[in-house]
Amino acid sequence: MSAVRAPAAEPPVQAAPAPSKPPKPFDRPRFLPIFTGAFFVFMFAPIVIVALFSFNSSKSLQRFEGFSLEWYRRFFEDESLRESLVASIQIATVTMLAATALGTMLAFALVRARSRWAGSANILMLVPLVTPEIVAAVSALVLFTQIGWQLSLETVMVAHITFSISYVTVVVRARLAALNPEVEQAALDLGATRWGTLRLVTLPELWPAIVAAALLTFALSFDDFVLSFFTTGESPQPLPVRIYSAIRFGVTPTINAIGTMMLTVSALLILLAIMLPRLLGRRESGLGVLVGRETA
Amino acid sequence: MLRDIDDFLAGRIGRRELLRGGAGLALGAGLAGCGLGDSGSGSKKETEKVVKAKPDGDLVYFNWSEYLDPALIKKFEKQYGVKVRQSNFDSMSSMMAKLRSGNQYDVIFPDQSYAPRLIAANQLLKIDHDQLKNYDNIWDFFHDPKYDPGAEHTVPYGLYATGIIWNEDKISGMTESWNDLFREDAKGKIFVLDDYQEAIGMANLRNGFDLSTVDPDELDKSKQMLIDQKPLLRGYSTDDIQNLINGNAWIHHGWNGDVVNLRNQVKNPESYRFEKAKEGIPVGTDTIAIPANAQHPGTALLFLDFMMDPENASQNVAYFGYPMAVKGAEDAFAKIAKEDPAVQITLDDVTNGQQYAYLTGEDKALWDRTWTEVKAA
Amino acid sequence: MSEQRFATTLLLPGGLWLLLLFAVPLGLVLAASLGSTDDLGNTVYGWHPENYRQAFDPLFLPVLLRSVGFAFATVALCLLIGYPVAYYIARYGGRWKHMLIALVVLPFFVNYLVRTYAWVALLADEGLVNGAITNLGIRDTGITFLNTSFAVVGGLVYGYLAFMILPIYAAIDRMDQALVEAGKDLYGTPWNTFRHVTWPATFQGVLAGCVLVFLPSVGDFISAQLLGGPSTYMIGNLIQQQFLGADNWPFGAALTAILMAFLSIWMVLYLRSAARASREAAL
Repeated sequence: MSAVRAPAAEPPVQAAPAPSKPPKPFDRPRFLPIFTGAFFVFMFAPIVIVALFSFNSSKSLQRFEGFSLEWYRRFFEDESLRESLVASIQIATVTMLAATALGTMLAFALVRARSRWAGSANILMLVPLVTPEIVAAVSALVLFTQIGWQLSLETVMVAHITFSISYVTVVVRARLAALNPEVEQAALDLGATRWGTLRLVTLPELWPAIVAAALLTFALSFDDFVLSFFTTGESPQPLPVRIYSAIRFGVTPTINAIGTMMLTVSALLILLAIMLPRLLGRRESGLGVLVGRETA
Repeated sequence: MLRDIDDFLAGRIGRRELLRGGAGLALGAGLAGCGLGDSGSGSKKETEKVVKAKPDGDLVYFNWSEYLDPALIKKFEKQYGVKVRQSNFDSMSSMMAKLRSGNQYDVIFPDQSYAPRLIAANQLLKIDHDQLKNYDNIWDFFHDPKYDPGAEHTVPYGLYATGIIWNEDKISGMTESWNDLFREDAKGKIFVLDDYQEAIGMANLRNGFDLSTVDPDELDKSKQMLIDQKPLLRGYSTDDIQNLINGNAWIHHGWNGDVVNLRNQVKNPESYRFEKAKEGIPVGTDTIAIPANAQHPGTALLFLDFMMDPENASQNVAYFGYPMAVKGAEDAFAKIAKEDPAVQITLDDVTNGQQYAYLTGEDKALWDRTWTEVKAA
Repeated sequence: MSEQRFATTLLLPGGLWLLLLFAVPLGLVLAASLGSTDDLGNTVYGWHPENYRQAFDPLFLPVLLRSVGFAFATVALCLLIGYPVAYYIARYGGRWKHMLIALVVLPFFVNYLVRTYAWVALLADEGLVNGAITNLGIRDTGITFLNTSFAVVGGLVYGYLAFMILPIYAAIDRMDQALVEAGKDLYGTPWNTFRHVTWPATFQGVLAGCVLVFLPSVGDFISAQLLGGPSTYMIGNLIQQQFLGADNWPFGAALTAILMAFLSIWMVLYLRSAARASREAAL
């Protein structure tokens, strides 16, 4: 997956967090806000510049010469780039669906089961989270070549799914562990089947976490480079791989356009993941789920 | 999650679970040992498939970048009603790496040191010359070249020589020597080809050794020379044309035809020059071949035939600046060589000059290791 | 159906997938690391432990050392930049806390390549920064930012800063304000309060951030490739070259195994520390 994963470990809870009081005026050092402001400028400047120059009418990277949609037009007119965009979306969609399904089931099993296999499955699930991307990519490549599976869209999907499962599991499990099992127990006592309980009791409580995990999986898969680079076939290649090949040639404005579009898609997805639970009546935002407010 | 980790470390999740997880790893290693992955040599039978030259699908094309006239690609597409799906490699090694990954191409462009390698491993389709209308247009010498007896698996493509391309506007005073790649006053603006044969070969020639020496001491000296050169370099790259155009390179280790191609793309063609080094000039032939696992060999045969047509070959020569071994294309190159004698290369040069050898076994491993050490230092 | 059976059924799909498509391939890599190559560059399995010996050859050790060095530098810079930012947002963010943290996270969902490329565009010899420098007359010629070690570390910092900020933010956020107030009374100066109260309380978060930045930085190859030069080769580049550029998968596999082992050591050390702290906190 891409270089980004939510933090996998949590610092221990020290004490019940106190309500945050507004800081007293003489308390606030002036250095901090300025520093933080500079930080945000530093973080966003390159992205803003890329977005800005994607609308530049000339090839120049130094002067903005006029507003133009030229580079976007070129992107959409290039058939192979369009195919790459479609390919990236296909890969991300399949990855999202499969990883969410497998990961959620795994999370449920790990939390609820006293199964003999739970322990080993747990370790097996945690290892991908700490595996460097290049190690993951290399082992996927070796696997595919050794079993004779020609590299293609499907191999990229399989690789992405493998490394997304753990992430989904961790996020969903955090939420699941916080749920009260007694409600489920009550449903069972009242005669519901295990599947029924799952469907009618557990899932409604669980779904913000599932949706958040799913949307993030999509975003990460869409953005992923390293895994895709090692496991992609010749054509079509996912968009980040195309960007990489183009960058090797030097800076071209079409990359600005592609980058800006990918940025917009990812930003929308993240916003969606964060806002969705809030919009649909939950009290907490998706962000809380993601930053891992589990009470271990 | 910390609870699990805590359990794990406290030994509650213990050896048993670890063993089970380890079983997975062992399973993988065991499968490997049983020869699960036998993606090695192909069978001779596959190379002798009977194929007719007719369109049987889109052409999957794998070549150096900027090494075939895009107009010719379009012409081929129109002529036969197929599409050409293009991919590029940037060295023989990466071409091999992609082939090894199981990618299926219809036409590839190995050079004369890699063609025999592929032939020996039964990776190339045997070409039925009757299927190629233009077979007789190929220079007679290439009907039976040393690297491909009987020309059973390849047709020749461009003839090339390796030298140095530079931008006269940015730097002058070149000396027709490999020393020019070591100029202190061009520090940070020099590129060496990102190809183990070309880079090590260049150092060998500058040291006065054989181009393809396999003597460990000599290779060691060349390795050291390349390592010492690194602080002067901007990078290793085979994109000589682009690096010179975008100004990252003033001096670039490169091929004779590329300067012609480059000149066609810029507003100041006179600024770009090519020189051959007096210490020694690597020469060679590129070829076009059809992998044995090609999905559309019929279209591929048509493509080979298409490139051996004198009119197409001449147009290609004008585009990429190398002579092609096709009768009727000589004039196109003669014109180029007249305008710039520096890029001249003849069949004599190629047959008598120093070519990269087809290295095998320990020798190849030695070269590979040398190159990795240069890159890592 | 018993809960056991139910749970085991749910366990199987994901578990089997991970076993066959994650654990087994790692095993294959281990097996390949002991192999050799034939003339076409295909992997031939066998027993060649010299691949590992070669990896520790004096000519390759610098690559590993350099990778670790860059990673340490990245961690240090991320800490220096990340801690104050996390502190400010957690303690003084007020209502805007969540939005600010979301803004911190947002750039990191922009494709890593595109972000790095943005720096290439900015810092290129004919890029924006150099354009500003020459136009404003600060210098006559531009500065070569790219293809240097500084650019590579800068790229790594830019790429992984969020991993440092998030855990520290969470730790500071959880910290009991009363402790800090008490500390101020006890220790007097803000610096002492920080040293004796805030820092120890947030140390686990800092540690988590350091590990989360260190691990991927060591194996990174994108920054070195796009922003670096011939002398900034990292172990990730070396592995990439062996698999996609050269003809030597076994050596690449050996390097991969070494990288994985090296990082696992750090990971285990960190987990021990975190688990110990967790146990102590629960007391």
